[in-house]
Amino acid sequence: MRTLLLVPARRAPILRAVAATALALGYADLIRGGITVGPVLVVIGYAVLVPAVILTWP
Amino acid sequence: MKRGSILIPHVVPKPSYGISALVGLGVFALYVATLAPTTAMWDASEYITAAYTLGIPHPPGNPLFVLLGRVASLLPFGSVAERVNLLAAFCSALSAALWYLVTERVLASWSPLRWTRIVAAVTAAVLSASVFTVWNQSVVNEKVYTVSLAFFAVVSWLTVLWCDDPDGPFADKLLVIITYLIGLGYTNHPAGLLVGPAVTLAVIIRRPRTIFRWKLVVAGAFAFALGLTPFAVEPIRAAWHPTMNEGEPTGCTEKIGFSCTFSKTTASRLMDNINRVQYGKPDLAERQAPFSAQVGMWWLYFKWQWLRDAHGAQPTVQTLLAIGFFMLGVLGGFTHWKYERASFWFFGPLVVTVTLALVYYMNFKYGASQSPELAGVAREVRDRDYFYLWSYSTWSVWAALGLATLWRQIAARSGEMNSRFWLTSAPVLLIGIIPLVGNWRDASRAKETATREWAHDLLNSVEPYGVLVTLGDNDTFPLWYAQEVEGVRPDVTVAVTSLLNTDWYPRGLLHRKIPAYDVAKGPAIYRGLNAALPTKPLFSLTSAQLDSVPEYVSAQTPQLFKTGDLRAIIDPRRLEYGVITRGDLMVLQLLKDNIGVRPMYIARTSGSYVQALGLEKYALVQGLANKIEPTEIVATKDTLAAGGTGHIDVVRTRALWSAYGAPPAMIRRGDWVDRPSVGIPLIYVGTAMMLGEVAEQRGEMKEAERMRRQGVDLAEGTRTLEYFTPSAPPPPRIQSGDGRLQRSVPVSP
Repeated sequence: MRTLLLVPARRAPILRAVAATALALGYADLIRGGITVGPVLVVIGYAVLVPAVILTWP
Repeated sequence: MKRGSILIPHVVPKPSYGISALVGLGVFALYVATLAPTTAMWDASEYITAAYTLGIPHPPGNPLFVLLGRVASLLPFGSVAERVNLLAAFCSALSAALWYLVTERVLASWSPLRWTRIVAAVTAAVLSASVFTVWNQSVVNEKVYTVSLAFFAVVSWLTVLWCDDPDGPFADKLLVIITYLIGLGYTNHPAGLLVGPAVTLAVIIRRPRTIFRWKLVVAGAFAFALGLTPFAVEPIRAAWHPTMNEGEPTGCTEKIGFSCTFSKTTASRLMDNINRVQYGKPDLAERQAPFSAQVGMWWLYFKWQWLRDAHGAQPTVQTLLAIGFFMLGVLGGFTHWKYERASFWFFGPLVVTVTLALVYYMNFKYGASQSPELAGVAREVRDRDYFYLWSYSTWSVWAALGLATLWRQIAARSGEMNSRFWLTSAPVLLIGIIPLVGNWRDASRAKETATREWAHDLLNSVEPYGVLVTLGDNDTFPLWYAQEVEGVRPDVTVAVTSLLNTDWYPRGLLHRKIPAYDVAKGPAIYRGLNAALPTKPLFSLTSAQLDSVPEYVSAQTPQLFKTGDLRAIIDPRRLEYGVITRGDLMVLQLLKDNIGVRPMYIARTSGSYVQALGLEKYALVQGLANKIEPTEIVATKDTLAAGGTGHIDVVRTRALWSAYGAPPAMIRRGDWVDRPSVGIPLIYVGTAMMLGEVAEQRGEMKEAERMRRQGVDLAEGTRTLEYFTPSAPPPPRIQSGDGRLQRSVPVSP
């Protein structure tokens, strides 16, 4: 599974931080009325990064 | 071979991910070839507009879809509508690729020859992609159900993987991802939960001790809750008051803020949206039609899947095909049970959930096209085949398994199962491409531009800064799309009666900013009008006063409505609900506040609404709308009486007609497949006939003949001539979408 995701175990915390940051920035942009960057970040967060975080969870 | 009571092959073959991807690409190419170039009837315009503006469509608000649609709308090619339509195509192609994987896995111990499993799995993918409703919904983003279907297929494949190795190193993570995706899918549509019971049953049967592992259960619950968080997008966006802000799930009246967002009002409105309170479905014990009739509705649409036959030209063939594919599905279910028991305990319950359980839960009235001989029964406003998209998609997987079983039986008749015999008996699989061939004409939406043109035509029937009262989905959503996405006539205020019954919609209209009319982009006929940008608000009432308008006035006797020189006798018995509703009161308030100030119109799709409000003496047909004048209309050479519907402005209507884009678009398409919305082409046919009659009254015989010819051509092009014969069926209704708040008033052709 790690090979499939191309994320070594030691990088899993980084992935978690990236996912949390993408969602936080995405929602922040939505709150300030953004309709471009916010949706892109939130979609990447939910569709790609969160599943990846779950798969690499120790 | 046996492990306990469950058949497990010794070696689970590696999934053919590469071939699956190619199959998905092929299906995507099919959808692109038949993709709608623009919007379509019903909810397509609403969802495209919501995606483009990051607005809030009708409850439950579908925040995940809106986010995905917004991202799709940013693609660097095609029109906005095409980009969002591509999202539907992509989701269904992804589903087909995953059904390929599921089928290939189910057949792992069915044949030792890999190529036979691949061919059978390709058949499943093609069949699932070409059943009518899946195909038709995948080539225009009419609903959010193709996204739901993708979630179904992803969860299905992950569950199949889990069933293969429930004690493996990644089994728990798969379950956590599955629960996360079910939660996330719910934020696209409540149907996302439908897969839950089947997953739960599979887990209980396959590894019952799993549900007692509390750490895993807590992790799953946390993941599910995380999946639900996109609902937060609704109050965030609602507080910015986008043009489309259905349900207005925010307590913020001016701008977004912490206290108004985290308020009881926001929480209450958000929950009402998520739970679709606006639609007030009855308790399940209170059946809206007999359960047998509801199953009959499912069967009617099941028949459509294998050969749509929109005009009933081949009913026997259609029924035989349906019976055949039903039997193949049963056979495929048996094959699944026999060869792959582990995933059967997931897929079998899934099929039951999205078929019988869903039929029971949806509790529909009679279908719009169901049993037309039954007069007086309560009917759904349109055909609801899309609610069974998951049913027909999963059934097609089983039908393909049934075909594979037939193939195997035929190949086995020779006594030995080698490649040669498999190959010579392979033509039986061609049955699987019958829907691909048979549905092409009706499922394809390529070159369908009539809805976009209809929206332009209706908006352009209204003078600058006019207010246009509309009825429901098909005379409203396309206008929202034209205004918000294409920037066509944003100066027109569209007020839809069905939503005027709510509290949030009038408030939204009050706050709507009217942009300046662009003379250069508007019809040439308005160039000399010198219309001024309105300075007064649309309503003279405040938000609080609008909120206090009652739900209805229970008067049963005719009521006098007076404003200026206008005197109208409103007969409540002629109104849809037999009483004057809040929506009707709002229309009257609009007339009171705007007549003589802004041009006031009621769309001709509203049928007898003008008469029900007693306004026929003040109604002047201008193209596709009735203009309501402040004084009684006097007939002149260019203003003629028009058969009980008021008068017609001959010069204006002729000028508008010559510029209308929908009639040629409808003729080019050569059909109007969706019969419940056939009132739209009938309006055009009726207008051409009316102009022909008017020309005859004026002694312009050549013009009369020309207009009537155009009307007949259009009726032939949309296959609506049947509505103009002496034994014509009742005219179809221009109807709105879901819910008791929405009207259904007949339209005269």
